[in-house]
Amino acid sequence: MTVETWQEQLRRGGIELAILLAVASSPRYGLSIIRHLEEYTDLVVTEGTVYPILARLTREGTLLAEWVPDEAPHPRKYYRLTAKGRRDLDEMLGHWTEFAGKIDRLVEATRGKTR
Amino acid sequence: MKLSETGETRVRGYLFVLGQSLQTFLPGDVARDAVREIESHIRERLDSADPQPDEREVVERVLQELGPPLRVAQVYSAELTVDEALTTGRAVAILRALWQLATTTVAGFAASLLLFMGYAVGASFVAIAALKPVFPNNVGLFVVDGVPHSFGALFPGPAGAQVLGGYWIIPISLGVGLATLVATHRGAKGFLSWWRERRRGFPRLTLREPAR
Repeated sequence: MTVETWQEQLRRGGIELAILLAVASSPRYGLSIIRHLEEYTDLVVTEGTVYPILARLTREGTLLAEWVPDEAPHPRKYYRLTAKGRRDLDEMLGHWTEFAGKIDRLVEATRGKTR
Repeated sequence: MKLSETGETRVRGYLFVLGQSLQTFLPGDVARDAVREIESHIRERLDSADPQPDEREVVERVLQELGPPLRVAQVYSAELTVDEALTTGRAVAILRALWQLATTTVAGFAASLLLFMGYAVGASFVAIAALKPVFPNNVGLFVVDGVPHSFGALFPGPAGAQVLGGYWIIPISLGVGLATLVATHRGAKGFLSWWRERRRGFPRLTLREPAR
């Protein structure tokens, strides 16, 4: 496996969590989510792939979607977390923190031995 | 940024291709909603873009960042059809999802080929069981000059052929056919589940706590 493939897998694994985090504090529409992710991460490679993920999360009941027609010159579809979405996000964050902590410990242990 | 007629035509062309591609596999209202959302995205990006020096360049950049319409439609429709197939478990939904993956991915083509063969074999055995009481002389094992020639239903049968197999082939064909259909259906659901997990790309990692 090349580093690029591994990086792609990390991105794919992280994008769903990143989207949920983007809408955790307040409802956002698609482009607003993309801009938020662009500001803090480099997870969005192709913007068009974010929308199918949003559609799936809505189907699964994790997000709630609502069209707002008169806020801008064009209607915007806003997404917000449902109660299930918030529970899923908390659980995912727990797993993520635990996983990242383990990898950090491993990295520290390896660095300590190589010094 | 207000688009010129050329720019507007380019955007409408993109949305048209996206809509047509989505409607191949998705229900009309779902496809229309998806196109509306993507259009909103494009308009919003263009509104905040600087039209200088070249409008065409700006439009192309916005569309390029979104990705080719066929690719976007592919991701949309594959996710939705596979989800629907796994959620409902209906044969039609599963066949549609398999067809979708067969036409868009190599793994989907290979797996779907095998699975469609499984469905065809299962359905053939069931058809044999159904046809035997109606056409007893055209359904069964055909033997020509003492050598087995073919098994199934033939209209008309081969010249000089003798049909072996009485009505007892009905329960056997029905059993084999249904078992094959059930096994293939389970295989199809397994493949779709695998594909969905792979698509989501969550690494299934389990790390043990380090020894203290």
